[in-house]
Amino acid sequence: MIRFDKVLKAYGALEVLKDLDFSVEKGEVVSIIGPSGSGKTTVLRVLMTLEDIQGGTIYVDGEPLNRMDVNGQLVEASKAHVRRIRAKLGMVFQSFNLFPHMTALQNCIESPIYTQGLSKAEAVEEATRLLDMVGLADKAGHYPSQLSGGQQQRVAIARTLAMHPEVLLFDEPTSALDPEMVGEVLSVIRDLAKSGRYTILLVTHQMGFAREVSDRVCFFDAGKMVEEGVPGDLFGNPRNERLRQFLSKVLEAS
Amino acid sequence: MNRIGIVVALIAFLVGLSVATFAELRVFLPAILRGAVVTVHVATLSIALFLLLSVVAGIGRAYGAAPVRWLSVLYIEVFRGTSLLVILFWMFFVMPEFGLFLSPVAAGVLGIGLNFGAYGAEVVRGALAAVPRGQTEATIALNMSAFRRMTRIVLPQAVAIMIPGLVNLTIELVKATALVSAVTLSDITYAAVQQNQLHFRTVEIFSITLMLYYCLAQFVRFGGAALEDRFSRHRARRA
Repeated sequence: MIRFDKVLKAYGALEVLKDLDFSVEKGEVVSIIGPSGSGKTTVLRVLMTLEDIQGGTIYVDGEPLNRMDVNGQLVEASKAHVRRIRAKLGMVFQSFNLFPHMTALQNCIESPIYTQGLSKAEAVEEATRLLDMVGLADKAGHYPSQLSGGQQQRVAIARTLAMHPEVLLFDEPTSALDPEMVGEVLSVIRDLAKSGRYTILLVTHQMGFAREVSDRVCFFDAGKMVEEGVPGDLFGNPRNERLRQFLSKVLEAS
Repeated sequence: MNRIGIVVALIAFLVGLSVATFAELRVFLPAILRGAVVTVHVATLSIALFLLLSVVAGIGRAYGAAPVRWLSVLYIEVFRGTSLLVILFWMFFVMPEFGLFLSPVAAGVLGIGLNFGAYGAEVVRGALAAVPRGQTEATIALNMSAFRRMTRIVLPQAVAIMIPGLVNLTIELVKATALVSAVTLSDITYAAVQQNQLHFRTVEIFSITLMLYYCLAQFVRFGGAALEDRFSRHRARRA
C-alpha cells in the first residue's frame, strides 16, 4: 500500500530521512516509535505531502506520489496527480488543527462538499454518522473552542474519516492531551484498527497502546529504521542497542 | 499677560456662541451639509478601493508568485512612502500633462484609495501570517484546493484578525478626505473654510465641522465592531 524507496528528506545539510526504505501492506497497522528527532513524524509529513522530499520515491498503492509516469518516464507530478493520490490518505494531527471558525459538523462536511462534490444533505448525514461513531453526536453544533482536547481530537478523526481515506496517518494523536483524555481518543483509534478497514500508520509515545493494536512496530533513530518486528518481539526482545536504551528510558518515565 | 489672554479668549468664545443664533446657523449649515454629502461620496468610494487594494496586494505579497509579489511590494513601498497630498496633486494637476484627465472625485478617490491600500495591504499580510500553519496543513490533508483553502479557511480567520487594523485605517481615511479640498472638491472642510470667509463664524463653523467628522468616524467604528463580532463568534461564545 505504501512504499518508501530510498527517500531522502533534508533541511539544508541536516538529513532527517536518510535513504529510507520502508513499506506498509494494505490493512496493516504499523506503529512508529523512536526518540524525538528520529524522523518518525517526518515519515507521515512527507507521505501527506506537507513536506517535499529531496530524493527517492514514495509509492501509494503502486503509484508514485511525487512523480508520475508519462510514457514510461517518471516526471515531476502535476497538482491533479498529487491530489488524486492524496485522496487515499488521511491525517490526524498532534494539535488537532480543527477549523476554529466552524462547528464540529461544519468541520466534517467542508471538504466532502467542496472537494468530493457531495450534496450538503449527504455530507451532513455522513458527518452525523461519524460524529456519533466517535461519541460526539450531541456536540455537532459546538465550536472547537467549546470542546475539550479529547473531544476536539475525536472530531478531527471524524473529519478525516469523512473523506473516506484508505490510509490513516496518526501523528502523536494523544501527545497534546491531558492524561484523563488520552483514553477516549485511543479507544476510537483502537476501534478503527480492529475494524480492519484501514491501513494505519501511527506515530506514538504510548508504548502500551502500540503493543496492543499494532501488527508491526518500527523503531526509528537518526533518520533510519533501525529495527522492526511484531510487537511482542520488538518490545520483549529488542536486539538493537539504541532500542534497548530507548525502551528502558521510556519505561523509566512511565 | 497670559491670564488676560485666557480671559479675552473665553469672553470671545462666549460672545461668539451667544451671537450664533439659529437663524444664523441656517445661513451656513446647508452649505456645510452639502459638503458632507461630497465627503461621504468620496469616502465611500475610497474605502471600497482601499479595501480591494489591501486584500489584493496583501495576498499578493504573502502568497503570490515572484512577479506578483514584486509588484505588490513595489506598490506598497511607493504609496506608503509618499505624501497623500502630493499624490493628490499628481492625480489632478500632473497627470493631465501626460494626457490623463481625471475628474476631481476620481482623482481624490484614486489618490486616497491607492495611499491607504498600501497601508492596508500590510495589515492584511500580517493577519494572513497570524493564521496558524496547522490550518493550511489540515486543508492539505483534507485534499482541499488552494482556492478553497484561501476562501474558506485562511481568509475567514485572517479577517477576524485584520478588522481592528482596517477599521483604524478606515477612520483615518474618512478624516484624510479633508485633503480633497486641495483638488477643488467642495467637501466638508472646503465648505467650512468658504462659509467662514463669508460669515466669520469661526467657532461655530469649525465646531460643527469637528462634530461632523466625529460622527462619520463613529459610523465606521460601529460598523467595524459589528463585523468583528460577526467574525469572532466562535471565540466569544462558550458552552
